[in-house]
Amino acid sequence: MPIVTVRHFTEEDVPLRTELLREARFAANLTDFAVGSDDDGLQARQLRTITEEHRTKRIFTVCGPHDRVLGFAWITSIDWRAQCCELSFGVLPRDRGLGAFAVYAVHKHLRDELNMRVIVNQVYTHNTMFLSAEALEAQHQVRCERDSHTVGEWRTACYWTLSDEDIRAHQDSAEERRRELAERIRERIEARS
Amino acid sequence: MTELRPLSPAEAAQGLRRAGEAARGFLGTDPVTQNDALLVRELVRREAQVYAAGGALVGCVPNRAQPRQAYVSSTSAGPEPVRALLGHLTTYQRRTSFVALVPEAGAAAFAGAGFARTGVLPGYRYAGHAFHDVLVLVKEEPCRS
Repeated sequence: MPIVTVRHFTEEDVPLRTELLREARFAANLTDFAVGSDDDGLQARQLRTITEEHRTKRIFTVCGPHDRVLGFAWITSIDWRAQCCELSFGVLPRDRGLGAFAVYAVHKHLRDELNMRVIVNQVYTHNTMFLSAEALEAQHQVRCERDSHTVGEWRTACYWTLSDEDIRAHQDSAEERRRELAERIRERIEARS
Repeated sequence: MTELRPLSPAEAAQGLRRAGEAARGFLGTDPVTQNDALLVRELVRREAQVYAAGGALVGCVPNRAQPRQAYVSSTSAGPEPVRALLGHLTTYQRRTSFVALVPEAGAAAFAGAGFARTGVLPGYRYAGHAFHDVLVLVKEEPCRS
């Protein structure tokens, strides 16, 4: 049983996501439009995504053990024919330590079920919740100054893509690390006996 | 004989969601990749008729180019709900030709209801990071008009 599962965003999830959209770090790290929008407007917007915007935008609810909601992920700029999309995340403050599991589960869902091949990630440089500043520096392929204006400041954004080749390379290097670790443990055990 | 209860598109979408893995590919829909609103929209667009048949769901989509023919689906692993659907479609809609597009694993329910394998659509369906073959199963009833 996976720790984190992904399901469709539903009407019942709307109030929780609305609350998240207005949270201070969310507003600074993604977009602050919700701070100036009323509840009805935000609700109508999310319901429209559920009922009408399947071609252009999809929201997923990311759940932990016992189907407890951890946060949300959504894809935009979807090009079904080229099999690429942009992916965004909002993890609830109480569960932010589980972000890495959420990222893995959503990437897997997009590749395994929606047949996406290239996934575009965007993170503002001040945001270290998703990746450390060093990891972001190493990971990014494009740096865009004054990409967005959130909470009164211009933000620089880092962009990078993850393709099937990247995932394979990542899996291979993880496998390699596991093998090395297993080898070291074996050597230690043999040395003791 | 299993009794059929007609479902609205919204009830059908809920039933397909509950059926989980067994509902993937049901009349060309997929609850894993489509949310309830999209399932409803797709069922309506296809003019699908969905019925509760015991604990399972069965349904059909008419072939507009051949009014005696219908595409049929079932979430059941057993043949009884399929037999009930064919009985209903033959008796009340004068259908005489039935086509089912199912993965190898889902073929038994239709074979048990008299369907014959007529072809394979290679790599027709994508799920679980792989393309899967889909079998074309057909059953013809003699025309009674």
